[in-house]
Amino acid sequence: MTSQLKKEKSVSKVIVITSGKGGVGKTTSSAAIGAGLAKRGHKTVVIDFDVGLRNLDMIMGCERRVVYDFINVIQGEAKLKQALIRDKRVDTLYVLPTSQTRDKDALTQEGVEAVLNELREEFDYIICDSPAGIERGAQLAMYFADEAVVVTNPEVSSVRDSDRVLGLLNSKTKRAAEEGAEPIKAQVLLTRYDRARIEKGEMMTVDDVLEILAVPLLGIVPESPAVLKASNVGVPVVLDEPSAASQAYEDAVARLIGEEVEMRVDGERKPGLLRRLFGRSA
Amino acid sequence: MPIQDADERGAQAPATSTSFQLRGKLFTAVTLLPEGGVPDAGFYAALDEQLQKTPQFFNNAPVILDLQAAPALARSEDLRRVVDLLRERNLSAFGVQNARPAQLAAAQEAGLIAITTGNDTPLRVPRTEKKGAAKPPPPKPGRIISTPVRSGQTIIADEGDLVVIAPVSSGAELIAAGNIHVYGRLRGRAMAGAYGDARARIFCAKLEAELLAVAGLYRTSDSLEDELLGQGVQAFLDGNKLCVEALG
Repeated sequence: MTSQLKKEKSVSKVIVITSGKGGVGKTTSSAAIGAGLAKRGHKTVVIDFDVGLRNLDMIMGCERRVVYDFINVIQGEAKLKQALIRDKRVDTLYVLPTSQTRDKDALTQEGVEAVLNELREEFDYIICDSPAGIERGAQLAMYFADEAVVVTNPEVSSVRDSDRVLGLLNSKTKRAAEEGAEPIKAQVLLTRYDRARIEKGEMMTVDDVLEILAVPLLGIVPESPAVLKASNVGVPVVLDEPSAASQAYEDAVARLIGEEVEMRVDGERKPGLLRRLFGRSA
Repeated sequence: MPIQDADERGAQAPATSTSFQLRGKLFTAVTLLPEGGVPDAGFYAALDEQLQKTPQFFNNAPVILDLQAAPALARSEDLRRVVDLLRERNLSAFGVQNARPAQLAAAQEAGLIAITTGNDTPLRVPRTEKKGAAKPPPPKPGRIISTPVRSGQTIIADEGDLVVIAPVSSGAELIAAGNIHVYGRLRGRAMAGAYGDARARIFCAKLEAELLAVAGLYRTSDSLEDELLGQGVQAFLDGNKLCVEALG
């Protein structure tokens, strides 16, 4: 196992993928970022906090292997090891699926903390896929986080909701509550970026978004059929064949672990000649 | 027998009879220790000086005369005179303590009771200089916020001004008793003079506010002139009108 080779294990990080608004690409981004980290050899687990709307395991392509789930573990009905599902493609990638039959009230702060503490022993990165909204499920997903990735689409309501979530990250989390703790490091991941629509003025520009949110930019993921396809066949974008979107996620992962990567849009720095001549493709 | 007694007592005490209650009462008395012989003019002059420093404190204070250091104060007419002169100064002497047997007899004759219980404590006289100089209160501190104010957050400065050195997002609220200063883009709501201070103003570096209000009078972004958007402005009350003007 690769993880066993890395003896001098760095302190594990809990990263919440959140947004406020639904449908912006949280789960897709959780799967892609988790897979991207695992591909680089970091032992990574992705936890589905969206209790009752089990999606992560579908996007990760392991829904038929779910026996026990996060809620079973919290309620003491199963051991963590029984609920964790190891990815068949990358052996450092694990999924902790959630329950489809329960709801967010089944999550308890103590239960979540206990599970996260146990995972911290094993894993380098713990990715928490937050549900939409700002209620209990979302607040518990972010409560114990060390870092946050706020997924935003370049449109007004999504940006406003992200702003609200950034406010919660700074006020309703463990790091915010603890005196002297470093605040959660939050970065924005711009998804469903569509340059044509932005140029037509139908969507906000990157600068507009960053000006409002006032946090660092983790990456720009273009709107791409590759994302939709990967979701439907249950393959995280970065494990599928290369595309502008997968490249964007790879870059985002590199920045997440502290590498300096130049920001590219649409997988290129500038629109290429062919692209200009033949129109747009993924 | 005792039970029968109790029964009889119960029977003999109808609810309508004149009765009374006894209650203990604790209070603080001032102890005055005359030194030497019979108090003279110098004694009263010194006493007056002391009383003048804190006129309210000793008003009608119950006073016990401690005769420990004044063996010569043993005649009832002398004690009566002390009581009278103290009463003129709004001090009510009612007892003596540490009295010698002869002094005790004289004190009882003068209507003073013998006090044998209680502990002496140093008198906590309020500091005179505090009362004398009524300095104006220090300026209210206010609040300084240097991180972005996000949608859904409310920042309140209960006293004084609110200064924000960061952007204020739409959906955020700033509320201050005094002025509001925003040195980033103001996209949210700002309410100055929240407790009715009509002199309060709002200053902002870049106006894109949803709402500006001073002492309850407000304007929404709809009613703000387009040419003010993105400008540095101040908002203030002129009579019953909320004026928004470009700065500089």
